[in-house]
Amino acid sequence: MTPSRNADRPRIDAHEKVLGRALYAADQPFPGLLHAMTVPATIAKGQILSIDTAAAVAVPGVVRVFTHGDFAQIRTTPAARGAYGQPGKGYQPMIGPQVRHRGEPVALVVAETLEAAVEGAEAVTVRYAEEPFSAEMDDSLATPEPEPVSQQASGDAEAAFANAAHIVDVEYRHPQQHHNPIELISTTAAFEDGTLRIYEGTQSAAAFAGGLAGMMGMEPQALRGVSPYTGGGFGQKNGVQEQSVLVASAALLLRRPVKLVMPRGQLFHTASYRPHSRHRVRLAADGDGRLLAGIYETVQQNSRYDGFASDHGANPPRLYGYGAWLGRERIVRVDTQTPGHQRAPHEHPASYATECAIDELAGALGMDPVALRLANDTQRDPLTGKPFSSRHLAACLTRGAALFGWDRWTSEPGALVAANGDRIGLGVACGSYKAAMTPSVTTLRLSANGQCRIATSGHEMGQGLRSVIAAELIEVLGVDPGKLDIRIGDTGHAPQHLTAGSWGAGSAAPAARAAALKLREELAQLTGAALTDEPVHAQLARTRRPFLEVSVDTLPLGKDRQAIEQLRRGMPVVTGPEYPDFLAFSWIAHFAEVHVEPSTRRVRVRRVVSVADCGRVMNRRTAESQVRGGVVWGIGAALRETAESDPRFGGVLNNDLAEYVVPVNADIGAIDVDFIDEPDNRLNISGVKGLGEVAMVGAAAAIVNAVHHATGKRIRHLPIRIEDLL
Amino acid sequence: MPNSQGKHRLETTRRRVLKAGTIISLSGAMLPTTGLAQQAGPQPSPENGVTVPVSFRVNGRPAALDIDARASLLDLLRERLGLVGAKKGCDHGQCGACTVHMNGRRIASCLTMAAKAHGRDVTTIEGIAGADGLHPMQQAFIDHDALQCGYCTPGQIMAAIACVKEGHATTPEQIKEYMSGNICRCGAYVGIVAAIEQAAPQIERS
Repeated sequence: MTPSRNADRPRIDAHEKVLGRALYAADQPFPGLLHAMTVPATIAKGQILSIDTAAAVAVPGVVRVFTHGDFAQIRTTPAARGAYGQPGKGYQPMIGPQVRHRGEPVALVVAETLEAAVEGAEAVTVRYAEEPFSAEMDDSLATPEPEPVSQQASGDAEAAFANAAHIVDVEYRHPQQHHNPIELISTTAAFEDGTLRIYEGTQSAAAFAGGLAGMMGMEPQALRGVSPYTGGGFGQKNGVQEQSVLVASAALLLRRPVKLVMPRGQLFHTASYRPHSRHRVRLAADGDGRLLAGIYETVQQNSRYDGFASDHGANPPRLYGYGAWLGRERIVRVDTQTPGHQRAPHEHPASYATECAIDELAGALGMDPVALRLANDTQRDPLTGKPFSSRHLAACLTRGAALFGWDRWTSEPGALVAANGDRIGLGVACGSYKAAMTPSVTTLRLSANGQCRIATSGHEMGQGLRSVIAAELIEVLGVDPGKLDIRIGDTGHAPQHLTAGSWGAGSAAPAARAAALKLREELAQLTGAALTDEPVHAQLARTRRPFLEVSVDTLPLGKDRQAIEQLRRGMPVVTGPEYPDFLAFSWIAHFAEVHVEPSTRRVRVRRVVSVADCGRVMNRRTAESQVRGGVVWGIGAALRETAESDPRFGGVLNNDLAEYVVPVNADIGAIDVDFIDEPDNRLNISGVKGLGEVAMVGAAAAIVNAVHHATGKRIRHLPIRIEDLL
Repeated sequence: MPNSQGKHRLETTRRRVLKAGTIISLSGAMLPTTGLAQQAGPQPSPENGVTVPVSFRVNGRPAALDIDARASLLDLLRERLGLVGAKKGCDHGQCGACTVHMNGRRIASCLTMAAKAHGRDVTTIEGIAGADGLHPMQQAFIDHDALQCGYCTPGQIMAAIACVKEGHATTPEQIKEYMSGNICRCGAYVGIVAAIEQAAPQIERS
């Protein structure tokens, strides 16, 4: 059965979403629900000397005020916030008197109503002994790690520079950014059917079963993580949050359901974020524009205690056929909450720096930047020498150039002028993102009445995972989309993987397809003949069975059965981008047209054209949306988003959506999306590579390059603001 | 009309709230099923502190209860009435996820005191679909995939309907401007504009 291409269907859960019926974590109704509110630390580092809760307890409706004295039994395990699975790392607030970053919870007020909880939280008084701290990587008290945390090398890059005709040596700075999904991070803990259920909008429901159980000293089966709908994740909801175990423990101690919706101002100080980073890029080329070598060194800001890696160097050396490469990533530790994965966590900042540097090289060479990229295309990974499973980046560039009208591009900046006097700039940049996969456990049940139920691993956070699963079931079984019941994001239905790193579709699509194919096989055995074109449930009905159920474990390429056991224990098992025989990436080319108003220097992104090679497109409609979303994130990164760290007191000054500026509707012009849509069947049976993150990679660089083309100004920090262009 | 605070008054208030809960329950039974309110069931809320009596119409049905004077309309809808379609994204009137209509105008329900609903008509996402199916704006959002995670969607749709009724949906540029109070972090803006362009001719201007 050959997978279909370019299927275009309504998002499978759009109907319940437009009706307002999709239930997110904080929407779950519980009789006798208590409301909680956290009290954030007002110092950046130090010790709690005393907490006066008397006034809070006296607030009518307040049931209990918890402090660190109540939670000393909670353990910091590799599941804790910031540990990223590493023993000895991570930090759980409120289990001792220490304060390690501004805004961490120091008390939890639980009350009969939200209003009482908020008033109670404001009535708590905390005395601290403050300690010196560093709020930012450029502070004198910041601590650089002595050794690089990762390195890449191929050939003799230093030597190649000696023979180069053209050299670029530039430093780009990327600011701290915050995910800000519109769903506030919330935790609701409630006893149901003898288990403690944790409702939290998450990309990792398993973290709320196995992970929390470990932190609370409970058996994993005593907890169930439930997150059928997540209101945007973008990496910020990829594990246990600082408040999760506190709310779960409060529910356990009070024997009543407890809900905490953390205010956004606090989330800027408790949830993860993309850390500030510096990128020095050196490129060497010969007279024809052939890339002889690249040397790429980055420094990233981390917290004192996290296990968050730096991985800026993983993608840039694979984008072009570099003759030699040297990459080094370093980190600097400061007194903040842990940073983390934010959409294309390292790939976006790395592509911003390196794809802008490529543009600078094209300028130095006097070459068309599209032509420079095409001249350095490669079908082999320069670092390992292995081939790519599939790479249609050149086709992305040529098709994108045609759709965009790249022939308008001029080598001189500022040459294109709109009728109203705006300076027009055209920019291009490419991106890549690893095609990763993770195991899945799937149960598929077809009923003779046409109902079809699937329970599998994965979370829906808006990327369209339900629609991807539906696409395979519709295609293989011909089931009615209206009769599909897709159960994901719930450890009560199937073991759950951490859904991140763009491995959702590449794992869930093959799982759904394998289950559907197995069901067809078993149905054919039952009917005793090859299946006909008639709907499968009608063929099942003739066998006089009410339903047929199959279970399938799917393994990613290169993994054995042990991976399923790890999945069942809630441990992340991820493969890619390097597989035994090849490397696998999704690829993209972005073209951006900006208009710069000549007197105010206001920058508008009028049009973006993006062409992606993500393997097979599972649903054209939702895939286009995903790419547009990535481009909107690129526009936000290029022109809007930055956290303003406060060096005096720690924390983020612009900790709300009025001052941490994200793109709004009026910021967005046309975004035209196209796909190569060539299935990558070396990778998995669905031919899928992943799309959510590659969509963003390179988008900001295309805009920055376009701003240079419009103004002649090369801005090497983000976001680009009016004052940079005056 | 605030009640004075104190233990004795609180007890009185609780009883009144229970009574109010019954009133909502009765009026709820007369209404078409819009899903959540019925699923969640009206629950008497143990209000504390100063309360005010509020009676208003929500999605066409009467509601009357004593409500904590500090409560926002959003928390009244979500935490007291089980109408969880309106979402909390910032609680500061900055994101638009809580957008509902009050007397036909769009408002940020998180910035509106619950008491302000007294004597007024409130419409939420649960109240716009007709008996015969989706509101044209809901259908247009599906057709143009004007959503991803769906969390901001109820607010976007309520704002979009108001945008059309205000006469602010005559050009794409105007739609973008008048829809910029509703943030979609997934970035579905292109679809949202296309959806409003599709639905606008089917919606009467007020």
